Amino acid sequence: MSCAKPLCQECATQWDGIWHCAKCLAAKRGSTKIASHFGGWISLLFSSLLLLYVSARVMVWAGALLSGMF
Amino acid sequence: MGRSAALGNVLIHAPLSTTSVLDEATDIVSMVASPWAAVVIATSIPYRFLQALFIDRLIEVGPDASRYGTLLGTTANLAIAAFVLALWGRAVFARACRLAASRGEAPAGEAWRVKPVALTSYIFTGTLAELIFYATLFSGIGTVLAAVVGGLAIGTMELNERASVLGAVRLIARYGRETRILTALVIVFACAGVVAFINVMATFNFGMWLADVFLGVDLSRWNALFSGHNRRFVLAGIAGAWIAIEPFWIAANVVLVRKAGAAETGEDLRVWFDEVRES
Repeated sequence: MSCAKPLCQECATQWDGIWHCAKCLAAKRGSTKIASHFGGWISLLFSSLLLLYVSARVMVWAGALLSGMF
Repeated sequence: MGRSAALGNVLIHAPLSTTSVLDEATDIVSMVASPWAAVVIATSIPYRFLQALFIDRLIEVGPDASRYGTLLGTTANLAIAAFVLALWGRAVFARACRLAASRGEAPAGEAWRVKPVALTSYIFTGTLAELIFYATLFSGIGTVLAAVVGGLAIGTMELNERASVLGAVRLIARYGRETRILTALVIVFACAGVVAFINVMATFNFGMWLADVFLGVDLSRWNALFSGHNRRFVLAGIAGAWIAIEPFWIAANVVLVRKAGAAETGEDLRVWFDEVRES
């Protein structure tokens, strides 16, 4: 449940392996289509690509620095 | 769902501790090993061996490494491309572990269907952990931090419901409070890595001994290749050892996040009541 309220098992419904109360389930069902969150997607994709690029650079930098020490 | 990592109730039996996490992780891996462990192993092989190749080239060029930027850069780019494939394999395996934990049986094809938001968040957090690892390669504590962040990244992957950089980091920070267990897991898996390495090397030597004794094959050349003096063999052995323990590492982190979330929301109490009612 996203609300984290205590609930008996009879009142909870499992969806995709996760237990939800009726209110959370209704909210989830209603938000499935509208929760595209475009800005979040753009920032997440951009940050991921940036981190991948920086990781490759840092890998070379750290390797060169390390091999220079020996 | 953010606060509720308790995804189902089948395998939440013992209170949150290092041994209970390891026990339940082992149960889950044995449940999903066929075929899901093969997915994580097959997708990890290119990345781990490209890492080994990168280190091999570094050792080869030695102190002149800064003059071989193109060679090292190309290998690093290939390794990072293979890393994305490895992240996808880990995501599929983590989902299989989570489904198995909630149902008590190996999942079918639905383990492939990792939500795009969960996968993208994991690519971000997994790469962040990798970046921390490379940037802090010189300090022991940095490596431990990278391992913890990487573990929690896969453990919390499916809790990401919205695409958000801060949301993904916040989830890791929240479960990062289990410092004692996380540190213990890193130490246990570091030891497991050493044991796995010894086993990988011993397996090769045992295979050669069998071929020599039972098949009478001339192994004089292979003896030189499969020896501790061959740098490439040792690097490949280290890569193989980590590939072998990776499914257990992922399962342990999935179980840790699940159990920590269960304790937070009272899910463990509900399971306990269920068990009392049934007995």
